[in-house]
Amino acid sequence: MKNKLYTYCLASLLATGLLVSCDDELDIDPFEEGNPATFFNSVSSFQNGVDGIYSQLWNYYSSPGSGLQGIPDILADNVILSQTGRRSNEDYYDYRYNANTAGAISLYWSEAYEAINAANLVIGQIDNLAAGAARDNILGQAMAARAIAHFDLVRVYAMIPTQSADANNSPGIVYMKVEDGDTGDPYAQPARETVASNYAEIIGDLEQAAQLIGDSNGEGRLDRDGVYGMLSRVYLYNGDYQLAVSAANQVQTNVADAADLLDVYEDTTNEGVIIEWSVNTSSESGFNNVGVLYSQTTPPNTVSEYVIDYEFYNNLDANDLRLDVIQYDATNQGNNYNAVRKFLGETGQVNGRVDIKVLRAAEVLLNKAEAQFELDQEGPALTTLNTLRDARYTSYTGGESGQALEDAIQYERRVELSFEGHRFFDLKRRGEPIQRSNNGDIQDGTGTPPEVLILPAGDYRFQLPIPAAEINANPNMEQNPNY
Amino acid sequence: MRAKLAWMLTPLLALCMSFSYGQEKTVSGNVTDQNGLPLPGVSVVVVGTSSGTQTDFDGNYSVTVSTGQVLRFSYIGQKTVERTIGASSTINIQMEEDAQALEEVVVTGYGSRSRELSTSAVSTVSTEKIEAFVPSTSVDNILQGQAAGVQVTAANGRPGQTAFVTIRGVGSISSSTTPLYVVDGVPVNSDFINNLNPNDIETFSILKDAATVSKYGSRGANGVVLITTKQGRSGDARVTFRSSYGFAERIPDPFDLMNASQKLELERQFADLGVSAAQSLPGANADDAERARLIGLDTNWEEELLRKSQIQSSSLSISGGSEKMTYFMSLGYDKNTGIIDRIDGFERITARLNTTYQAKDWLNVGTNISLSRNTTDLPRDRNNVQNPFRAMYDYNPWDPLYSRNPDGSIATDDQGDPIFNPTTAGFPIAKALITEPEDNRNFLIVGSLFADIQFSDKFSNRFTVGASNNRYNRTARSLAGGVLNTIVGDANFPGTQTDNFQNTLQYNVNNLFTYTDTYGDYHNLSASFLLEYNENIYTSLFASSRGFPSPEIPYQNIAAEATSAGTGEARRSLFSQGLFVDYDYDSKYILSGSIRRDGSSRFGPENKYGYFYSGSAAWNIANESFMEGTFVNDLKLRASYGTSGNQNIGDFAFLDLLQFNTYNGNTTAIPIGVGNPNVQWESQAILDIGVEFGLFNNRINGVVDYFKKNSKDLLLDQPLSHTVGDENNSITSNIGEVENSGIEISLNADVVRAENFVWRVGGNVSFLDNKVVSLVDGSDIINGDFGYNILREGEEINSFYTVKYAGVNPANGEPLYYDLDGNITNQYSGAFNTILEGKSPYANIEGGFFTSIKWGGFGVRADFVGKAGNYIMNFQRQAGISIGNIDSNQRVEAFNYWKQPGDTNVLPSPLYQGTADQDSDRWLERGDYLRLRTLTVDYTLPGKFMDRTGIDRIRVFATGQNLFTITEYNGDPEIGIGSDESSEAGTAGFIPGAFSLFSYPQTRSYTFGVEIGF
Repeated sequence: MKNKLYTYCLASLLATGLLVSCDDELDIDPFEEGNPATFFNSVSSFQNGVDGIYSQLWNYYSSPGSGLQGIPDILADNVILSQTGRRSNEDYYDYRYNANTAGAISLYWSEAYEAINAANLVIGQIDNLAAGAARDNILGQAMAARAIAHFDLVRVYAMIPTQSADANNSPGIVYMKVEDGDTGDPYAQPARETVASNYAEIIGDLEQAAQLIGDSNGEGRLDRDGVYGMLSRVYLYNGDYQLAVSAANQVQTNVADAADLLDVYEDTTNEGVIIEWSVNTSSESGFNNVGVLYSQTTPPNTVSEYVIDYEFYNNLDANDLRLDVIQYDATNQGNNYNAVRKFLGETGQVNGRVDIKVLRAAEVLLNKAEAQFELDQEGPALTTLNTLRDARYTSYTGGESGQALEDAIQYERRVELSFEGHRFFDLKRRGEPIQRSNNGDIQDGTGTPPEVLILPAGDYRFQLPIPAAEINANPNMEQNPNY
Repeated sequence: MRAKLAWMLTPLLALCMSFSYGQEKTVSGNVTDQNGLPLPGVSVVVVGTSSGTQTDFDGNYSVTVSTGQVLRFSYIGQKTVERTIGASSTINIQMEEDAQALEEVVVTGYGSRSRELSTSAVSTVSTEKIEAFVPSTSVDNILQGQAAGVQVTAANGRPGQTAFVTIRGVGSISSSTTPLYVVDGVPVNSDFINNLNPNDIETFSILKDAATVSKYGSRGANGVVLITTKQGRSGDARVTFRSSYGFAERIPDPFDLMNASQKLELERQFADLGVSAAQSLPGANADDAERARLIGLDTNWEEELLRKSQIQSSSLSISGGSEKMTYFMSLGYDKNTGIIDRIDGFERITARLNTTYQAKDWLNVGTNISLSRNTTDLPRDRNNVQNPFRAMYDYNPWDPLYSRNPDGSIATDDQGDPIFNPTTAGFPIAKALITEPEDNRNFLIVGSLFADIQFSDKFSNRFTVGASNNRYNRTARSLAGGVLNTIVGDANFPGTQTDNFQNTLQYNVNNLFTYTDTYGDYHNLSASFLLEYNENIYTSLFASSRGFPSPEIPYQNIAAEATSAGTGEARRSLFSQGLFVDYDYDSKYILSGSIRRDGSSRFGPENKYGYFYSGSAAWNIANESFMEGTFVNDLKLRASYGTSGNQNIGDFAFLDLLQFNTYNGNTTAIPIGVGNPNVQWESQAILDIGVEFGLFNNRINGVVDYFKKNSKDLLLDQPLSHTVGDENNSITSNIGEVENSGIEISLNADVVRAENFVWRVGGNVSFLDNKVVSLVDGSDIINGDFGYNILREGEEINSFYTVKYAGVNPANGEPLYYDLDGNITNQYSGAFNTILEGKSPYANIEGGFFTSIKWGGFGVRADFVGKAGNYIMNFQRQAGISIGNIDSNQRVEAFNYWKQPGDTNVLPSPLYQGTADQDSDRWLERGDYLRLRTLTVDYTLPGKFMDRTGIDRIRVFATGQNLFTITEYNGDPEIGIGSDESSEAGTAGFIPGAFSLFSYPQTRSYTFGVEIGF
């Protein structure tokens, strides 16, 4: 009997063993997430990865609190804080930021590196695709997007090469390239490279991307024109004026007519838009609404955060066809304001949810005109400038030369690219101060003027501080001076 | 085997043959205990047959037997008596206490031991304590104040709402601290505990020291609550029917709200002082006629929005058994409408069948199965106008429930129905309760089957397969034409609906082999080997649609279009082996040890398996010869030390993952989070030293325990360089450490133990202390839903962190604060936030006590619970007296503001609204309280009245719950969830009891019932 019992006992042990088939059951794969090591195995899955990079760029350009589409204007002289708003970004507007200031400082640093990480993930596995145009197009998009994210980092947190003589040798940011073995160690504590080295790598990535990328990848994605357009900007920032002109010449896209301009900002046409980060406002109706940077609408009131600077608006030419896309009359708490029109919403909407205009054909012309002027090619520079002005004015005097021409190019740049995230960088890279007018926030110039009227050229606050969280996590990360 | 059977059959055959000619007759008699008191419920069985009965309430029985047959009388704690039927037809029995059997059995996890031989600290809560509660109360709430070392914080007062339970303090920073619940050997997710019928529960056993929790390995760190349901006993079927009915109301506040004329007066005063928010209010502008009209509308919003709830409960159980089989079956129905008017409340139906069968003399099999379904609606429980509990404080008393026509009559719509007043709050809350219905249904199955196999005297095996499966359905609707649909809906698609479905299956297979032996006369050894497999499978599905032709048909099939949908799944598994060894020398010196190995799908590849061990020892001093003949019946010293783990660390923390979303309508795949291949369970070590004693014939008994619990390897986010590109710029790592220590005392005494009068008192108290030992690089962590708690090394866990209020300047009424240097300033800044040392949401003292008296058929029992030393941020008071809230109703206290120089003990002057309304420790109050949790009066009818009816027990009872409270808190101090939705339990930063902000309040109830047994 005993033997039988032990047999039974063994059988029951076995049964248990079978039932639970032991340790194999402990290997469970995630259900709703993918495996980054195996997911990328087809052109379409790689494109999912590339669209992921764009979505990360979209995140920091479109943030309704800190979007890169608007902060560089808030940091400069195109807008003034509205006293009846929520006083959002006031620390930025008044240049009171430090390494602990919430908002843009931590957002860009974190999100741009996430975009870079996403790009490196794609680039590092590109050999999973067979060589050919499809693979080149994926690689080109990823490299270009990686360059743009690094470019945003270095222009925000470091000096710009043309800004001053010491800029090139000053600390830049960390350039993360999977090909160079920069990735893979989550505990890495890299130190800053120089601005010159950053620009070399940005340009290297873009130039390579230009050879690989396709001509047309659809809305919201980079393509050949986008890469050359971006190159014209980066060369200009880097003082490579001849290269800037050449790159601008590679861009095929034409400037939008003034008549189409409102449609461009209401997203009914992409005329003249070379790079944009897009949103599908029907299936992505909960995504960021960038217009909130400037205002929110609760009819009949518009609660503006920032409104157009009195002097800037009143100096606009009466013949300027852009007036309607720049400004609209808004009221709040009984006050009238010159509110920012560009990001109010799609046609008929006031929710501020629109595509991000990163780079337009108009900017390429302005990059080219400025580069030509720097190369002492005043004639061609004027011609280039007039190409844009023809599309923007019912009539204009023109014919400038020398300083007047330089001023005209910069004036046109300020107006054309106003509120689109350029002004702070344009003043910074040219080594100029930020000078705000001493007018109030209300439409007639009364109200409260800016607390800080001037940020002198060379001020340390042109370089935003590296976020404190980074400094704490990475002792090798050098903080910018004076923070 | 055959030999054994034959051996077993022989006596049976012999019995049949010898006595088959016996004469049938009725034998009756009376059974008493050794003191001569009648013993009801004694099983009386005719040996070798399935017939038998039980004694009634007066100890009488009557049974049909044949001469020569044997009657067996058995009762728990008494020696079994057998009598052969002779000539007499009356057999009276006086039973004797069985010293061996009387020994209380302690459930210790994967088995049980006699309390005498147990080396561990286990608290047990039994039936009588459970019965006093309103039956719809979730069973975890019942544990409050009943067992030393168990901290229970009621989440809120919503019927069926589960509680926050921690055992021996908070052992984690970021992971769940809820104990493991095991019902009849089957682990059940704590979220589903409210679906158990409290009437089915025999005992709760709370495992809290290393000697027991280590046996649960990586699931043991938060303690284990073992729930044992009732089993049948051999004998005639006992039928018990219980029914009760009652009502409940909100516990009144210790303060008054303003009525219409008071509110208008305050508005006038504020407007006169120039408070801008008051300028447009009627108190500032109304002429005398208008003022009189508004006063005439005086509305008590509590009366308009709340009601007395109805609480209904019925249960039926039938239990019994034969020699070989036992069964317990029950049905239960509970309904609690809740105190919010216009919605349905909570409803639960339960069914259970527990059976055991002695299939062979070496094989016992059984099943425990319960089915239950509950339905509950989910009123908005958040800090805004959609919440009726905020609305009743906020809505102005001069705003009536229904809109008024200019002539003063109630306005009606085209259907002639009165129109709900949108009020100055802009939200017709009463209408929203009707047009924004949300409810959920849970269907829970908990079932297990087991086989106990006795291979030999020494070797046995228990095999158990169990599963719990909960199906959750939620339906949330915004009806066409309803409040929200008008604001956010689409006019072309009136009405929206979302349905969620979630299925949570957990199954568990375990196999326990046990070997017991005695060497020599005194060396007793027992060793068990455990194999266990546990898997959780969760699946979910949801769909939303819009455009409903009729609010009467709540199904998306009829909707105009579907708007979104999704499905999901998650799984985790655990595979374990354990070895448990117990040794004792003559029941005097006891040693126990355990080791368990857990492999979990949640642990990283570098730490896939964890080992957990414990060692414990006890000395039964009372069994020593020198203690014989003293008043000490029981005296035991014991100590244990061991480790356990908390595996509630989330799935896949060790993996790099890709997340899918969209960009411009296209799918995106982006890397989220850097995995940590080293991630593992949070580990814990507990030291426990205890003494148990029973004195004066066990009339006084008690337990005192000291414990120190170190929780290490707590999951915290270790910051990474952002250049890595991680989503959170951090990596989940086992870094933190906290320590809990305390003393637990429980005492019970039979003050009077006379024939017809018993008076018992008892209680328990825990003194608790905790501190943060280490964090990432020693950096503080700001915690809590509003950032008003802090984790700092060396300080109490989640100490409050806010600005210190310095009172009102008597010269001008200006509120003053302390800056970081401790200077008093009239400025307010969030930068002044500072740690308030020693003030945390956790109580230092927590416990409960009871007194019960039985006199003849009468009984009275009162249970008190209480705690002290915790602090609560009273945001509800802030909302009730903030100057800026003058457009909402206010507490009468708001009149007491600074009016002239020299005023002290006042609220700040309304002139300083900007600094006065700010968050600070002005709103931080002690949460101490003592509450009469239940008071039950009952009467059991004497048996003689029922001789002819067949009914042997009728008990009528009345119970009051939360009848009175002693507290200095300005509100109800029993707070778990501050404000659901906006501060969801289980999410990062959530701390139970940290603040009060209009969650569903506790209720006071009165129930009346009857229990009939036959």
